[in-house]
Amino acid sequence: MRLPWNRREREWQDEIDSHLAMREERNRASGMAEEAARQSARRQFGSRLRAYENVRSVHISRWFDDILQDARIAARGFRKSPALAIVAVATIAVGVGASTSIFGVVDPLLFRHLPYPEDDQLVSIGYFGPVDNNEFNVVASYLDWRAQQKVFQSMTSMRAGAQCDMLAGDTPERLSCQAVESNWLRTLGMKPAIGRDFTPEDDQPRAPLVGLISYALWQRRYGGGEKVLGRSVTIDDAPVKIVGVLPKDFEMPQLGSADLLLPEQLDPARPRAANAGSFLRTFARLREGVTIGQARVAMQPIFERTADLDTPRELRKEVRLVVRSLRERQIHEVKLASWMLLGAVMALLLLVCANVANLLLARAAARRRELAVRTAIGAGRWRLVRQMLTESLVLAIAGGVAGCGAGWILLRIFVGLAPEGLLRVDRTGFDARTLLFALAASIAAAVLFGAVPALERPRAEWLAGARIAGAARTLFRRVLVAAQVAISLVLLTGASLFVRSFWKLQNEPLGFQPERLTAASFTLRRQRYQTAGMQDAFFRRLEQRLQAIPASGLFALSDSIPPRGSMGRPYSNIRIAGHPPVASGGGMVEFRWVTPGYFRAMGIPIISGRAFEETERRSGPSPVILSAAMARRMFGNENPVGRQLDLDLQDEWCPIVGVAADTRNNGLTETEPEYYRLRMDTATLPRSGVALFRTSVDPATLARFIRAEFARIDSTLPVKIESMETRVGGFREQPRFVALLVALFAAFAVLLAAVGLYGVLSFLVAQQTQEIGVRMALGARPRDIVLQVQRYAGLWTALGSLVGLAGSLAAARMVKGLLFGVSPFDPVSLIAAIGILGATAFLAAWVPSRRASRVDPMLALRYE
Amino acid sequence: MRAADTLQGALELLILKSLAHQPNHGFGITLHVQTVSDGLLRVEEGSLYPALHRMEKQKLLRGEWRKTENGRQARWYSLTPAGRKRLADVEDRWTSLAKGVQRLLRFA
Repeated sequence: MRLPWNRREREWQDEIDSHLAMREERNRASGMAEEAARQSARRQFGSRLRAYENVRSVHISRWFDDILQDARIAARGFRKSPALAIVAVATIAVGVGASTSIFGVVDPLLFRHLPYPEDDQLVSIGYFGPVDNNEFNVVASYLDWRAQQKVFQSMTSMRAGAQCDMLAGDTPERLSCQAVESNWLRTLGMKPAIGRDFTPEDDQPRAPLVGLISYALWQRRYGGGEKVLGRSVTIDDAPVKIVGVLPKDFEMPQLGSADLLLPEQLDPARPRAANAGSFLRTFARLREGVTIGQARVAMQPIFERTADLDTPRELRKEVRLVVRSLRERQIHEVKLASWMLLGAVMALLLLVCANVANLLLARAAARRRELAVRTAIGAGRWRLVRQMLTESLVLAIAGGVAGCGAGWILLRIFVGLAPEGLLRVDRTGFDARTLLFALAASIAAAVLFGAVPALERPRAEWLAGARIAGAARTLFRRVLVAAQVAISLVLLTGASLFVRSFWKLQNEPLGFQPERLTAASFTLRRQRYQTAGMQDAFFRRLEQRLQAIPASGLFALSDSIPPRGSMGRPYSNIRIAGHPPVASGGGMVEFRWVTPGYFRAMGIPIISGRAFEETERRSGPSPVILSAAMARRMFGNENPVGRQLDLDLQDEWCPIVGVAADTRNNGLTETEPEYYRLRMDTATLPRSGVALFRTSVDPATLARFIRAEFARIDSTLPVKIESMETRVGGFREQPRFVALLVALFAAFAVLLAAVGLYGVLSFLVAQQTQEIGVRMALGARPRDIVLQVQRYAGLWTALGSLVGLAGSLAAARMVKGLLFGVSPFDPVSLIAAIGILGATAFLAAWVPSRRASRVDPMLALRYE
Repeated sequence: MRAADTLQGALELLILKSLAHQPNHGFGITLHVQTVSDGLLRVEEGSLYPALHRMEKQKLLRGEWRKTENGRQARWYSLTPAGRKRLADVEDRWTSLAKGVQRLLRFA
């Protein structure tokens, strides 16, 4: 051992030697012969070795000493069979690397504290209804809740989704601006990095506007200087004084971005109806000791009262109160995917353990003699168990270190591949927690795979080196292989389900043609376009100019486009002329204002009646086109063309002129009923718009043309231009990511199972060489031998597959929510998985079985 | 040493007492005990060194390498203040124990 102990150890030895030398000297002085003097000195001293060991044990505890010795023996052993050690370390590295990187990804989502003090007290609260995927609130209700509640330390609110334009110099910049209540930061437990927080005075209606800017904006725009405080900027044409900067790692609780926070300035003096139409997101901090359940119960009566007052009658039955933890609010969309990935990677880790255990078992069989010898010369049973455990620990730590490296690389790759929203990239990283996880995973793995061979009790027969098969041991190895097969089948089934689901999603008809379609979206600012006349004038000019773009192809204007939903309308608001009112309930339907070119530009076929016409835009009620789903819902099998509808309970009757084919208008997988109205010259339209171009012009050139035309009308208006394919692709990112990862894990898993099967069969063949030789000598054909081995492999693969099948079905049911267009019990996926596994198992069995068939009977019989 | 062997702490007492007047090395301690006890007591040499190291670790002794009068390198031990205190304690305990045993023997 070359360790710092070295010099000290030599000194202990020297001290004893010096004692002996002095005694010897004295003996000689009293007249003994040289040799006799030395002998006598030694005799009198007793065992030098024992004395030395005892001195040593004063300084180094036995325990540590033994561990070092074990590690030394282990390292020596692995140097002797480096192939085994390398395979084992590489296998562990794969398992630890994959699981560590996935842990790094899901840790901030599932386990880590949110970046607020006492984060478990924070809740999201509000109405939940068919209007939005998340709970929301309205000003009128919120003011009542805030005044009447007793379960929260404080409640706070922000206006739902807002963007603003900051003008600095000539280029307008579109920022995400959030209007928040003055106690926003205080409720979250945060303070501005510099400057001051909002005060209740800032939050008074019509108070001079002040703003808090994000740390990133501060650095980017103002270079991080203190001088930014007190500076005035123009936001949506109004002056805003910057009074503070948000903390560096500040996160909005709904996870939206925020470049700028403005005071919300709720006005309780406005009429209730006006405040009931103004949407908010509301959050709260629970009082000490109050649970979410208690808060929900306490808020229920308050909710019932305000819901009666503030929700449209037809929606009243469909809204309910939601109070849930902030974490739940943040991750509910990715929770299932996160748990699923963690589960998959843990299964992979388990597989790795099984594989390494198998390797070590093979090795243990080969060194039984060594163990038996050590037992015979007095090594305790516990000492041998510890020796084996140390060996697996050495492997595990080497594998763990390599796995950390692999995990780091994998994590970089995942972060690069992952869609926005699934990973919180900013918070995903390799830190102490991830490393601790890697360490824990390695050690747990070591104990798992080390315990198996360690618990074998050495037997005296092994001393003889007899090739005693150890039936129980090989049985155990076969069970281990079957378990590996089972786990990889589960992963394979998962992978084929996700791949098939993604493939379906990719090939799902959208109901419109995204190819060569470009969308330019914009929103007019309220401050700049204050009157309806100004808005109408803008849209008229825009349409003329954009249509004049050379080779603009098919052009249309709408206020929103699929696959995202529009701001829907309650179904129950619609009346059919000559029919009793539609029954209340029925949720929301999609609705868009479009120009006549919309259907051709989007590639949506008109399946009955006709499209809108330019001439209809000048006067009269705006005609309506229904989607097929809408027509079916309202009219069943009747032809709706020619009927009249009142769409907003305003006695304005509009003729239905046609029925358009359905589109995916609520994400890529769902079709909601939808109706379209013609953009009339006479009507005032929403301030948001999307211009559509279907053209073969190069997209970059087209974008330049579009920007130029917009700038000619209003140079301060930001426009977002993207191809429809990009837009649609964005919806596929998460399923693609999930499918890719699971497929990757499954590939690893199959590889590991194949290696395991190969190992066991090779071992069995080697062990039965003699028996095979006898059989061949008695006339067995090579084919019989191949079949024998293959049958063997087949049996254990089949047993594993059966267990794996049961596991697959159970696992598939749990991930149902992540699948699209594929049943969790999809036979195609199951058969594909079993097929891949079977083929791999056959290949893994092929080599050992061929080897068995080439056994030379003469050699085999002389063996040993 | 046979006599002392039966009584716990005897070796420690012998070592401490041997070093009370002057520092010594292990072999010197063996000789000293033998001489002073007129050969009645003998230190078992094999157990001497573990005991010395343990006591050094407990800061009762301080050890350093020095030359003997014969010019040989040896490890010399001396009492630390803690060692002196321990010696006083152990000596007291032994004296009272010895007295008790003596009385018991006389009574019987």
